[in-house]
Amino acid sequence: MPDSQPIKKYRYHLFSWIMLTPGLIFLGLFLLVPFVLLLVISFRDVDGFMNMLPTYSFAQYVEVFTSKFYVRMIGTTLWVALVTTAICILLAYPAAYLLVRAPGKGVRTMLYVFLVSPLLTSVVIRTFAWIVLLAQNGLVNEVLLKLHLITEPLSLLWNMKAVIIAYVQVMLPFAVLPIATSLGEIDPRLRQASMSLGAGRLRTFFRVTLPLTIPGMMSGAIIVFSLAAGSYITPLLVGGRLQPLLPLAIYQQVLQVANLPLGAAMSMTLLVLVGVLVAVMGWLLRLWEGRMNG
Amino acid sequence: MDNRKEERSPARRRKGRFDVWTTLVWVGGGLVYLFLILPVLVIILSAFSPNAYPEFPPSELSLRWFREVADNAAWMKAIGYSLWLMVLVTLLTVVLGTTAAYGISRLEFPGKQALLSFMLSPLMIPQVVIGIALLYVFTGIGMFGTMAGLVIGHMIVAFPYVIRTVGVSLSNLDPKLERASMSLGAGPVKTFFRVTLPLIKPGIVAGGVFSAVTSFGEVSVSLFVVSPSNMTVPVRIFNYIDQTFDPSVNAISVIFIAVAVIALVIIERTIGLTKVM
Repeated sequence: MPDSQPIKKYRYHLFSWIMLTPGLIFLGLFLLVPFVLLLVISFRDVDGFMNMLPTYSFAQYVEVFTSKFYVRMIGTTLWVALVTTAICILLAYPAAYLLVRAPGKGVRTMLYVFLVSPLLTSVVIRTFAWIVLLAQNGLVNEVLLKLHLITEPLSLLWNMKAVIIAYVQVMLPFAVLPIATSLGEIDPRLRQASMSLGAGRLRTFFRVTLPLTIPGMMSGAIIVFSLAAGSYITPLLVGGRLQPLLPLAIYQQVLQVANLPLGAAMSMTLLVLVGVLVAVMGWLLRLWEGRMNG
Repeated sequence: MDNRKEERSPARRRKGRFDVWTTLVWVGGGLVYLFLILPVLVIILSAFSPNAYPEFPPSELSLRWFREVADNAAWMKAIGYSLWLMVLVTLLTVVLGTTAAYGISRLEFPGKQALLSFMLSPLMIPQVVIGIALLYVFTGIGMFGTMAGLVIGHMIVAFPYVIRTVGVSLSNLDPKLERASMSLGAGPVKTFFRVTLPLIKPGIVAGGVFSAVTSFGEVSVSLFVVSPSNMTVPVRIFNYIDQTFDPSVNAISVIFIAVAVIALVIIERTIGLTKVM
């Protein structure tokens, strides 16, 4: 028996590697290689007809970082993602509270259905619903007109507010679920102790509950931010083609202008920006957890 | 519930204030859930409305848009194509994702965490970037506009979900069971099929559901690799919303909600809704 042990271990390892390999080959071929190629073409030059030239330079990146148009666009993209994240977090707390405190299993299951169903419905469908709601002759205007709150339909679509509203609805579950997990893990005695020592409900929330849910809040914020900074379907359909958002501009550069190198350079810029900000948020989270755990 | 009431009764003076805050949070939370479910309600309302733009409250119900979809060969073709794609993507992603999740969970090597992050990375990479990269590569090797190209694109997006759900199942698995099987003389292959696989079935099923839902609704990557002659349903919907306004989209959307409901039921029966994230 002792002799066969190393052989068994070797066979076990070999089997595990064999299992892992096909997945890695697949991702290597269709994720890593395309990504590296995209990085390479972001340094290619183009002629006046958007044909790729065999020469390499930083020209595309120079254009992205020196033109006022693109610099402002990067700023708007990050700002919209930030606002979306902030609203999501703000709305996620009461929603998570309800989920944790739901009386009875039936109510809780129903709330979970409400939370998970947006994740399971295609983004085109959810966006379409917002068009039906916010259009000139859409539901919101109709209800407001019938209630005589307005005399003329408001133009609610085709602006950044509509984009943010749709974003918040689409991404809210990603903020609620981790916050609810954090809330559920808090020992109820901590809150009771705080209140029996004379702290009010608000003070208990800000001094006890909120700090303990920072990890859930940050992991939710990371997901929401990266999604909001990288989506183009929702802004295109709800905000219109002209919204100055980086992912939307990438889509147009590649499919409409057919300037692949510029699109590639913008893609790399977007990827690095989101990556850096997500890494910073992750670092802050670890810093906070380190402080909490002493 | 009961002991909380007991603790509060001495501080009766504060009770009124407590209730104001509790009520506010409940009302606020309720409104948030209403906001979340609003689009789904709107779609159902619109689908059964006889007019192009729905009314509220609805004056009458009609199946007009459903009939229009059923009579439209192009929509029916797209539905068929999307369903085929969904089946292929789900099967392939589940096999590839389950084996990869098993392999990486049973190995210890330097860089394991980095490799795992790479496998989960399609969740975080902006899909417009994945789309462009695939567009470029597929054009180069003549796969642009093919079904295989779409299958690959959808698989990349769905892969991390399977890794995650199967990974959770694997980490909840008692390692003693596999060791017992091995020490009783079963090889790693037999142990995997006879012991591991049956035990991680909930994770595999949940991963499959996520793959199916992702594939059926995918549009961000698809737009870059799809051919105009063979469109998936979400891409067709996108084109319709983008260019014209076709109320048949209302009826089509109900199909997506039905798919989501089926997915919800399967998830609840396998790993449970509470463990989705």
